[in-house]
Amino acid sequence: MNTDWPYLEIHQSRTHEPSPYELKLAATLEEVFTKVGSELADVVRGLNDRQVHAPDGTPWTEESFTAEMHRLGA
Amino acid sequence: MTTTPLTADHLYATGLRGQWHPVVPSSFVAPGAMRKVTVLGEQWLLFRRSDGTLSMLADRCPHRGAPLSLGKHLGDRVACWYHGVEVETDGTVSSVPGLPGCNLEGKQLVVSLPVKEVSGAVLAYFGTEEQPQPVELTLPEPLTDPDTEAILCYAEWNVPWRYAVENLLDPMHGAFLHHDSHTMFDGDTTAKFRIRETDRGYFFEKTDQRGVNFDWVELCRTGVDWVDLSIPYPPSAGPGGPFGIVGMVRPVDAERCAVFFWRYRTVQGWQRDTWRFLYKTLIEKRHWEVLEQDRVMLEAMPADADQRENLYQHDLGVVRLRRLYRGGAEAQATA
Repeated sequence: MNTDWPYLEIHQSRTHEPSPYELKLAATLEEVFTKVGSELADVVRGLNDRQVHAPDGTPWTEESFTAEMHRLGA
Repeated sequence: MTTTPLTADHLYATGLRGQWHPVVPSSFVAPGAMRKVTVLGEQWLLFRRSDGTLSMLADRCPHRGAPLSLGKHLGDRVACWYHGVEVETDGTVSSVPGLPGCNLEGKQLVVSLPVKEVSGAVLAYFGTEEQPQPVELTLPEPLTDPDTEAILCYAEWNVPWRYAVENLLDPMHGAFLHHDSHTMFDGDTTAKFRIRETDRGYFFEKTDQRGVNFDWVELCRTGVDWVDLSIPYPPSAGPGGPFGIVGMVRPVDAERCAVFFWRYRTVQGWQRDTWRFLYKTLIEKRHWEVLEQDRVMLEAMPADADQRENLYQHDLGVVRLRRLYRGGAEAQATA
């Protein structure tokens, strides 16, 4: 633990540097929230329309998206 | 608490006693670890047992005054490096290895503060002669409401503590200093403000705009001093509406402070998870850039900034705050 003064750490909530997949997913989510909507169905449709899929390459479902957000956002 | 007489000027400069103050994020003291920390101009040692129990001791060996923080963690006590004197987590000397049976043994000679851990941060009670026992602590609701998700950001600034609190009681700076930020780009650059008293402090708020920029702030004194405020998120942040901030400032000494900002949002389920994911990946960095604007401005303020001012209507919240803290300091002064 760094105890030097001052403590000025930009990232305090991360446990790891985001992967390219996580960065792409996050950026696309912001676009979907802005342009499509913020209901769960909007988000799943928006991601799939943009071909930004789950890590296994399959299109998102509400269940798989919710599970992935739970994994990444915990 | 301290044997040095406390003047009103010293209290005003280093922070009021008789209340709880935030100390550091809980993660700064791992199980089995110790950490030195300066609070209200005094030296303290945070000591955590391997079972997680935390204690806060004056960082001063009762023998010759050496810092206990240079000593060794012995599990349930600390041994001073200088002569090996062992002190338990409640401040009792358990052993004087150089002179077994010495009359220091068994005496509670080191000040130990009551501590609590709240939403990822350590709070400690700093007493006064009149109020040595901890006052009642009512925690900020956003940190205890199960439907509200709060994420702590901690930073250390070379800024007098009161300037950092005053910055929070000055919503109008959002429309100027943070104009190019992701959350405070909108809103009028002129406004009328009012003070609205509450039973725990006061609101300082715009009378002609709400929900557009940083438009209101509530100062709350509930055993710990904190502010609550709300800032709109752009649509890109997804569902959940604006984010709020619970802010606390810890005086380090007369020139420095540490700031605690819990960013919170009323979100549950997938909306909570998605906000947290976006926060970690993209939003935290943007919030940090806004906070850095505050730090850069406040650190650049001259030492006599509050001595040569020309205040106007937007500064009523700051004036009220100074009166409150100045009065508190005078009431607590022992010299």
